[in-house]
Amino acid sequence: MTRYIFRRLLLMIPVAFLVTIGIFVLVRLSPADPVLAFAGEERDPATLAAMREEFGLNQPMPVQYVAWITHLAHGDLGRSFQTKQRVLEAITERLPATAELGLAALLISVTIALVVGIASAIKRNSFVDLAASSVTLAGISFPSFFLGIVLILLFAYVIPGHIFPPGGYVPATENLGDNLRRLVLPAVTLAAGSLAVNLRQVRSSLLDVFGHDYMRTARAKGLRERTVISRHALKNALIPVVTLIGIQIGAIIEGAFITETIFFWPGIGRLAVTAIPSGDYPVVQGVVLVSAFSFMITTLLVDLLYAWLDPRISYETATA
Amino acid sequence: MSGAAIPVVLRVPREDRFGAFVYFARRNPRMIIGGALVVMWLFLAAFAPIVAPYDPIKVNVSDALIAPNWTHLLGTDDLGRDVLSRVIWGSRVSLSVGVISVSIGFFVGVSVGLAAGYLGGVFDLLAMRVIDALLAFPALVLAIAITSALGPQIQNAMIAIGIVAIPAYARLTRGQVLAVRAREFIVAARTIGCSPLRIVLRHIFPNVTNALVVQATLATAFAILAEAALSFLGLGPQPPYPSWGQDINYSQRYLANLKWWMSVGPGVAIFTAVFAFNFLGDALRDALDPRLRRSA
Repeated sequence: MTRYIFRRLLLMIPVAFLVTIGIFVLVRLSPADPVLAFAGEERDPATLAAMREEFGLNQPMPVQYVAWITHLAHGDLGRSFQTKQRVLEAITERLPATAELGLAALLISVTIALVVGIASAIKRNSFVDLAASSVTLAGISFPSFFLGIVLILLFAYVIPGHIFPPGGYVPATENLGDNLRRLVLPAVTLAAGSLAVNLRQVRSSLLDVFGHDYMRTARAKGLRERTVISRHALKNALIPVVTLIGIQIGAIIEGAFITETIFFWPGIGRLAVTAIPSGDYPVVQGVVLVSAFSFMITTLLVDLLYAWLDPRISYETATA
Repeated sequence: MSGAAIPVVLRVPREDRFGAFVYFARRNPRMIIGGALVVMWLFLAAFAPIVAPYDPIKVNVSDALIAPNWTHLLGTDDLGRDVLSRVIWGSRVSLSVGVISVSIGFFVGVSVGLAAGYLGGVFDLLAMRVIDALLAFPALVLAIAITSALGPQIQNAMIAIGIVAIPAYARLTRGQVLAVRAREFIVAARTIGCSPLRIVLRHIFPNVTNALVVQATLATAFAILAEAALSFLGLGPQPPYPSWGQDINYSQRYLANLKWWMSVGPGVAIFTAVFAFNFLGDALRDALDPRLRRSA
């Protein structure tokens, strides 16, 4: 296991290196001049040249990359062209809001997927199963931003009493009740996409497990059906679900870009989206970098969790 | 002694085409429903100038914010533009982005996958690390990053979604090539002196197309959804040209006034188009891979 972790970490290095090159090249591909964006109204050629030199933009590309990666290693992601705030600071300020939204969405998605997925697998071909399958297919095809708008329309404007506000954020430390009320609609919107995938996975994993010999043995021993499901079926069926939840972290990160925009949720997704039209590339670059690294680390953690959950897996021979 | 032979008919051949179609439809309802919806959207996109009842960008303020009625089936927006006409014209953007970006992903991904799988060695190692790096980004985040760097234009959205689609094709093709590479007919082709290019294109590629067709259908669904998301964020076609995602974003400002029809038209359009390709892709996967017919 230790060797496996070590090998996975080693393999992450070239991938992380390529990711940084990718992001660096992407930003340099941009037709907009970052110095002009940073200078604002300033158009004096001497000042612009001085700024170009200060940022190292007059250096050859490989030199610029080395300087950028050195700063990155020191946690310096540069400064926002718009607000002049440090990008890392801007991201860490907004990260709690994104984490809160992501965790709430994950909780909703996993809970509903488990409850409905188990019910539809046990009662296969029943009404519950049919309804769950239809919802799954619809959920995969339903654009999250449209769902968000439908939810706002219904719960903030149409249904009397305006149950939930249409958007905005209040920190939990200021007013927990208001924070939770504002969290419901964006969390449900963000959960919807991954819910469909998780539900399908729970159902098909359970159906797969139901066909195994040890299930027949458990029933033949005279165990109650509830015990057979919870002790024997679920334990084995949940292994692929864990992997899938890990993959859903990526979906939640990308979903946050859209959901935070619709609900004016001040997370890192909205930070990037508002930075795009103004050409604030350090911010976009920083958020994309943080997203990619979070996704890579989560994938690694899920793989390790997989090994912990399923002792049958031997990582001594596994290839990454 | 009788000379007449009695013909033995074991099964009546299904000769009439309608009967054969009904038989196929009953066995593959998902393929029929998905296929019909895909054909419907392709038809609307191709014949938008004829099918759309109004000019989608012509401003007519006197008709602003009219609820759905017999003259404007999906109502009008704040500038008096017919929502149905914008939905029909918007299908051109979504489907063209879907087709072109999937073609980019297909061409590049399949080429990389074929080369990596067949050549192996250092090329395989390097190519797969680049693919791993692309997979390290959440797909939509990468598409947003590329489009925001290249500039908010439809062509850039196509390139971005195409790049995002590359890893799936590359990995799928490589896996299939590795499975086929050691088979007897490849060894035979090599023995009779076929060039590597001929082996890859004439002998290996036809054996991996089934899985690629399924992937292309599902990738089109993703591409339509991704284009809508990019347009929603202002990274797709620019106003006044109609685009489903952009129109939904625009409609947001009228939600408080309960002008729901401005978002419902494009929203349902995205849903049905994505649903159609997902449905068709699932059905094709079941039909082309017999192992999956038995799975739940």
